[in-house]
Amino acid sequence: MPSAIEVHGLTKRFGEVVAVDNLSFEVAAGRVTGFLGPNGSGKTTTLRMLLGLVNITGGTATFGGRPYRSIEKPVHHVGAVLEATSFHPGRRAEDHLKMVALAAGIPFTRVDETLELVGLADVGRRRVGKFSLGMRQRLELATALLGDPEILILDEPANGLDPQGIQWLRLFIRHQASTGRAVLVSSHLLSEMEETVDDVVIISQGKLVLQTTLADLATQAGAAGMRVRTPEAQRLMQVLQYLQVYGRQTGPDTVVIDRATPEWLGPVLAQYQIVTYELVPEGAGLEQVFLSLTTGFDAAVPGGPAPTGFPAPTVAGGLPPLPPDGSGPFTGGPS
Amino acid sequence: MIAVVRSEWLKLRTTLVPWVLGGIAILVTGLRILTIFLQQPDFAGPSAGYIVPHTTVQLRNLVGAGLSGYLFALLLGVLCITTEYRHKTVTTAFLVTPRRWVFVGGKLILAALAGIGLCLVVVATTLIGGGITLVARGGSFSALLGQVPAVLPGMLLAFALFGILGVGIGSVLTNQIAAIAVSLGWFIIGETILVGLVHSAYKWVPSGAATAVANVTASGAGGGRGADSITLAIFNWWQGGLLLLAYGLIFAGIGSYIITRRDVT
Repeated sequence: MPSAIEVHGLTKRFGEVVAVDNLSFEVAAGRVTGFLGPNGSGKTTTLRMLLGLVNITGGTATFGGRPYRSIEKPVHHVGAVLEATSFHPGRRAEDHLKMVALAAGIPFTRVDETLELVGLADVGRRRVGKFSLGMRQRLELATALLGDPEILILDEPANGLDPQGIQWLRLFIRHQASTGRAVLVSSHLLSEMEETVDDVVIISQGKLVLQTTLADLATQAGAAGMRVRTPEAQRLMQVLQYLQVYGRQTGPDTVVIDRATPEWLGPVLAQYQIVTYELVPEGAGLEQVFLSLTTGFDAAVPGGPAPTGFPAPTVAGGLPPLPPDGSGPFTGGPS
Repeated sequence: MIAVVRSEWLKLRTTLVPWVLGGIAILVTGLRILTIFLQQPDFAGPSAGYIVPHTTVQLRNLVGAGLSGYLFALLLGVLCITTEYRHKTVTTAFLVTPRRWVFVGGKLILAALAGIGLCLVVVATTLIGGGITLVARGGSFSALLGQVPAVLPGMLLAFALFGILGVGIGSVLTNQIAAIAVSLGWFIIGETILVGLVHSAYKWVPSGAATAVANVTASGAGGGRGADSITLAIFNWWQGGLLLLAYGLIFAGIGSYIITRRDVT
């Protein structure tokens, strides 16, 4: 069975800036795929390229093999929730849906159905300008569902929702997938999504970091990670930053390095002559893994000057090279 | 395309601004009728005082009193496309209609139809307001009605073409404020200055073309500004119509090209 969504070598350049860089991933039907990355990592640009709103610089983005713009009556196949601001404030909610329904050849009875579905049946006659952010999100969802599409794309749908709203959204998304729909939902918070998604596509700075299942990510989170107790916690953090490895200081003398192995960490501590009292394996939380995957790439420039205040290496031979592939802390994904 | 136009009509009628614009057009038409009746006769007739239109030319000019309302048809055209950008509803529009020339095409057809609708409202206003005043002054209402077939078709065409021109301008200048400022600035100031400097330019500018299309014969009929002291040459009706259509389609063509290439972020 072909994937519902296929993104292959997708690239977007805005002038000199490469917003999305050779990105490839797939989304399967009947599953919820979380599209995760920090703000500004290219999620929205990717989704907008998928939907034909932003022109593609290179690569392909297709639904069942066809780009969005060449699908006949696309709202019958793909429903999208992009942002909660794209309404005319003076227009009634039901008129917003009717204008989409008319253009797409959808009967008006479906308008009432979708309003009911998202819990806006009572306020359909109200003008959208009077809607709260949560109500607008629901109206966006109703718009996306009008054509009863088999694919749903949701860009940060939890933004602006209160806890009840997020819980409702979670159940809603799970229900959509259980009826066989493919759901691609973006977020900058894995914690927001970890009860909702089956698969994850993680990107950072426009590049794919990892595509896997949530279960696999959880296994990695449980397995790898080292906790170091040292009087030189500050210096260790600087070393890690220099090596472009994500570490976090959890106490005055404690540093945790996610997804690091003792075989990698031991020699580093020795080479930089960091006094170590304790070296213990520790599992990281999902959110920490997500952070280490996405922010680890933000560290110092490779081969660049050491960070300010970083003491010169005291070992002959200079700085150690970055660990070769397979032995580094990022064993789970391409870097 | 029919579905898209029906959707466009729903978009237009479910917001307030088009109705306000229509209301202002009616008011302006009323004022224009007043000025016609307040004009001094241009010859010393037997009864000095206010004019009572009775010649063919005068009656036609009265029927066509609302011609300058084509500016509101233009604004409707500008608004129906720039409002989408202002409120970002263009995102939804492109999700439903990913082929963007279809989107612009639907707007062009809608704006032409809206222009025709506005024209009918304006002419009805003229016939009611102008008719009552005329009869009260001892004129003949049936004589006024008799001139409607001579004036109405050209006016309808002018309004429709200005709606199309509005969409064309709005598709090039999707910033609403800029589009309105530029179109009003051109029609109220720019054209007047240009025609004042180069009289022969009048027949080439949109309002000169509109006057030609509407065929509201002589000077001072609706849109013929500056025509009181100088006789400005205009094209015949179909040349003027083609010129207006060309302006609208050239702008819409450029606009479609820009809109298609531009990212919606």
